[in-house]
Amino acid sequence: MAMMGGLLLKRVLSSKWSIAVFVLPTVLFFTYIVVIPIFKTLVYSLLNEIPAKVGSESHFAGLEHYIAMLTPARRNSFPGAVGNSLLYAAVSVFLQLPFSLFIALLLANGIRGESAYRNIYFVPVVISSVVVSLLWQRIYKGLLPQVFEQFGWAMPQNGFLGNKTTKIWFSFLPSLWQYVGYHMLLMYGALKSISPDVLEAATVDGASGARLAFHIQIPMIKPMLKVCLSFSLIGSFKLFDTPWILLERSNKDLPALSMYVEMFSNHKYSYASAQAIFIVLECLVFTVLLNILFREQKDRAQGKELNEP
Amino acid sequence: MKKKKWTVGKILEHVFLILWLLLCLFPLYWMFTMSLKDTNEIFGGNVVGLPTQWLWENYANAWGSGGRVSSYLLNSIIDTFATLILTSFFGFMASYGLLRMRWKGQKAVFTYLLMGMMIPMHAALYPLTETLLSLTKTNWALIIPYTAFNIPITVLILSGFITNIPYEMEEAACIDGSGIYRTAFTIILPMMVPALITAAIFVFLQVWNELLLATLFTTDKVRTLTVGIQQMSGQYQTDYGSMGAGLVIATLPTLILYMCMSGQVQKSLIAGAVKG
Repeated sequence: MAMMGGLLLKRVLSSKWSIAVFVLPTVLFFTYIVVIPIFKTLVYSLLNEIPAKVGSESHFAGLEHYIAMLTPARRNSFPGAVGNSLLYAAVSVFLQLPFSLFIALLLANGIRGESAYRNIYFVPVVISSVVVSLLWQRIYKGLLPQVFEQFGWAMPQNGFLGNKTTKIWFSFLPSLWQYVGYHMLLMYGALKSISPDVLEAATVDGASGARLAFHIQIPMIKPMLKVCLSFSLIGSFKLFDTPWILLERSNKDLPALSMYVEMFSNHKYSYASAQAIFIVLECLVFTVLLNILFREQKDRAQGKELNEP
Repeated sequence: MKKKKWTVGKILEHVFLILWLLLCLFPLYWMFTMSLKDTNEIFGGNVVGLPTQWLWENYANAWGSGGRVSSYLLNSIIDTFATLILTSFFGFMASYGLLRMRWKGQKAVFTYLLMGMMIPMHAALYPLTETLLSLTKTNWALIIPYTAFNIPITVLILSGFITNIPYEMEEAACIDGSGIYRTAFTIILPMMVPALITAAIFVFLQVWNELLLATLFTTDKVRTLTVGIQQMSGQYQTDYGSMGAGLVIATLPTLILYMCMSGQVQKSLIAGAVKG
């Protein structure tokens, strides 16, 4: 009976018609709304301008836009924008992630109020980045100037968001602040899933505090650290909401902002498409690099184990 | 477990953790108090204190006369729920067909869907404006791309779950003469509810907080909260109290969701990140 059911099931589960009904609508819909537009953007980026806008004047331009956007020149802001996104990535990787890791370690090692701390640290994550940005805008423009005045401290010239050299840093701060809770939670979860036996054995061997963290806990959550790293890198290259709200509208200081302004304010569609493709490539390249980096470490770790007597 | 003693180190740890806790909560506190003050107070001596008079009319202002938050809220609710229904439906159908049924090429199609997750929305923006141009007066202009872009993550979250259901379930239904659609929707779907909720919470937060597409694809009547309050902050530059009220209204739904089921929300966002 069971075997008959199995055979019957096998036939039912490989019926071509049912498979099409289940899968095809989703795949076609996804292709039409996500995949085809991406290929269109790629094609547009290789034309001098898109046909819908210039008619028969449209022709193949090769990598012209890519070369133009990456050539350093005084009036070309794109290399600077890419630089800024790398700067954000660096701040995120070297300050935000270690800070989150530190909190995660404190909480995971057991402390009174552990879950209360964790739940509250996560609150900013669920709030819209638009709300977060608007609140920080009021903090920069309303609260901090008053605080600075009270204490007689010198304000940055033209305010926190008006100063050419510092405004980009202040526009980074809200999203760095917002996502500490996310990274903390991911790392905390990984730390909590380390087997207590391992930790106990290490403690018996005399490891504690920093030694335990650096030699046992952090190496053991490497897969999660990779998730956090790729999350923060890709987030850096896509960063849009916060700086778009905090900085003035024509701002091109980050790749996504630059693309948006070139496309929808300056109407340079093809040029902007090249920037969009650049953002995609930037994300892909860093994803691949991370994979290579972490695979090598894994191989080395495995090699070490094998070589040990 | 033995009770830990209060040492200097432990106290320092708590001081540090409480400082960060205050930093996390301060903007929220500030938002709530701002929403109940008048502009003079916000700019005057009482920037951080509790409001001297609780001006609930700021909410009335933002809701109807000064702002249009009621309309923004309604649009956000419509867009979000329509997206959730569609991603759950398409996501379930696709994961059933891709991971329960057996055919050549199922793995390739699965990978094809997941590749879409690695590509940021930015890359599709302009062609999407062409495709969706005729819809920008309707909520579909956002529902359609929100659904499409959230299908991969939904399928991925469901995939971990659907492959763990034993085939005996379907076998029994099959012997009883139940067709595949009935089996999928009456036997497997109910078992998938926890996974569907996990995916739905993740998608809810993505969609409710989305700005980039919303700025491009909405005209006046179908504006969502994110674009609406962001525009309010420019238009009513003098009325910060009402703006604060708008921010509170935009934040409450997610905040309430989080307070009611913080564990589930955290689980969803972990699932979305780890798999994404």
